[in-house]
Amino acid sequence: MQNEHSITMTSKTDTETGRTEAGSTRTTSNTGAETNTDETGTPDTETDTNTDTNTNARADGGTPANSTDDPWTDAGGSPSALLGRPVVVGVVVLTVAVLVVPIVMTFVSSFARTATGALPSGFVTLSHWRHVLGLGDYGVRANAVPGLTFSIAIATGGMVLNVLVGVPIAYALSRYDFYARDWVNTLAILPLVPGVVLGIAFLRTYPERGGSALGLIVGYCLLKSPYMVLTVQSSFQSMDLERLEESARSLGASWPRTFLTVIVPHAKQGILAGCVITWTLAAAEFNFTYMVHTGDPEPFSMFLFRNISNAPYLQSAAAISIYFCIVVAAILFLQLIGNRGFTTARN
Amino acid sequence: MGDTLQRTLTIAHTVAFPTTERERERRRIAVMCLPFLVLAVFAGFVPLATMARMSLSAERLSNEGWSLEAWKTLTTDSTYWWIGFNTLWFAAAATLVSVAVGVAIAHALEKYSLPFENAIVAVVSFPIALPGIVVAFMVIVLLGRQGLITQAIAVFSGESAVSLATATTIGGLFLGYVYSLIPRATMVLRGTYAEVNTDAEEAARSLGASPLETFVRVTLPEIRPGIVAACILTYRSALAIFGTVLILQGGLVVVTLRIDRELSIGFNSQMAGAIGLVYVAFLIAFTFVGLRFVRTDAVEI
Repeated sequence: MQNEHSITMTSKTDTETGRTEAGSTRTTSNTGAETNTDETGTPDTETDTNTDTNTNARADGGTPANSTDDPWTDAGGSPSALLGRPVVVGVVVLTVAVLVVPIVMTFVSSFARTATGALPSGFVTLSHWRHVLGLGDYGVRANAVPGLTFSIAIATGGMVLNVLVGVPIAYALSRYDFYARDWVNTLAILPLVPGVVLGIAFLRTYPERGGSALGLIVGYCLLKSPYMVLTVQSSFQSMDLERLEESARSLGASWPRTFLTVIVPHAKQGILAGCVITWTLAAAEFNFTYMVHTGDPEPFSMFLFRNISNAPYLQSAAAISIYFCIVVAAILFLQLIGNRGFTTARN
Repeated sequence: MGDTLQRTLTIAHTVAFPTTERERERRRIAVMCLPFLVLAVFAGFVPLATMARMSLSAERLSNEGWSLEAWKTLTTDSTYWWIGFNTLWFAAAATLVSVAVGVAIAHALEKYSLPFENAIVAVVSFPIALPGIVVAFMVIVLLGRQGLITQAIAVFSGESAVSLATATTIGGLFLGYVYSLIPRATMVLRGTYAEVNTDAEEAARSLGASPLETFVRVTLPEIRPGIVAACILTYRSALAIFGTVLILQGGLVVVTLRIDRELSIGFNSQMAGAIGLVYVAFLIAFTFVGLRFVRTDAVEI
């Protein structure tokens, strides 16, 4: 009986009725081990086996909801049971389409010859890419390479500074309780000053250095530090810091040595994720850069701005696609080290 | 007064020269927080203070002399009140839509076994990496004169695409806001959804509640802290949007755009400083008041 029941439940998961959702979530909620496998994105076949084992486990005295034969019949006829899931899935599909279609469209049209009709046509040409990458006689200002090189160097500087600044404070905030901890925490995890305002404040405070490489590095570091602090903090929060620290100390390591050779290596994933995120964001930071930049070398985001505001459509598409490639690489790297997307949230 | 000073000095002394383990711990905390605080002071507080001085300066190009002119204009000229009002309601509307859509996406990702779930998460988080100017280009790709949606409507209605283009109207600007805010809202809500206890939902369903009733009465109260956190963070991001407005314009002047215009037309630095200061003061006050209602560990970007 139990097995038969579980089979009907899983087969229903495929039909788009709202009422099976409770059934399918329930199957994974009982045993911790199963929940883990499910979160890593198991294919359908594995979900089936989960269902079986879990149903058996519940028969030994699990949730009382399972004791009746068919507990879902009552609400079956309600409109939300019929429409709820299709509507929600529809919203998701529409949103994902709105988010993705322009990105794909931009990338694809960067290879098109003309964009005068409804859809770009004349595939495949690399001339726009050659143009923005400077592989032709277009002059220095027309291509992205000098700006990109400059921005990559600046972003790397900001990233290094962020590690030096963000990792210690993330540790202090997760390990210790101290006076005004909440205030320091809010200050560290939320960008208090928006880029535009920080830009004009920088210009007046450091008139000589505001738009220099150093000014940009420091500005990017402050603007993006919350991302570093948050990712590293969530790494620290998943560790038993006190025990780690005490074990190392009792084995004779000094406190600085404990921090550098035991604590920091344990948070490697979080630090790497924070590095990738802060670096990518700084490589195309616009609001602050727009306010402080003073000519050559022109940062990459200013190159993008010039293209978007007054270059031919297809050439802008190619310029933006360069950045898309960087973001895709960043997301793939983040997935490699355990994050699912471009976010500080961990799974 | 003298007592407090003496106590502060004693604490400072023990932090610098600790003798007990407790004092050493205090020194560690100070050392660990120091780099960030130095950065915050030199890159954050000092520039903000200079900007406050800038708003009171009599000279445009440097901080010299004193004048309240900019503040007088800011408080009496109704243009600025309208700009503030526009910024607030537009950001609020975009936040509400984004958080609502974010709840739907987070719900679907957590409760339904959707195909390609990893890819959906990656795709939804993608726009977080995009600067505002690129988001503006995405709106142009959809709603501009050559935009996909514009062209599609033009084909079906027979009108010219030029008159149908809405990228540079307030609607296009709204799409731009929502485009960059939905990913942020979704990522905050995903963290909340992961912590929802599913037992109560199952009980409600098995006792005969419909999915909608279950969501409204059981799930929603559980994710409320996450929704509040998402609203606060999304609203903050919405207020800080600049690049998108700069490209699209959209017939709406928001605070960030006005700051830029004060500087680009006539370099009215006192005015820009005054607006910037009010704007930052509002952001900080909003954040601290808002976060009183949320646990800080719900904060994710």
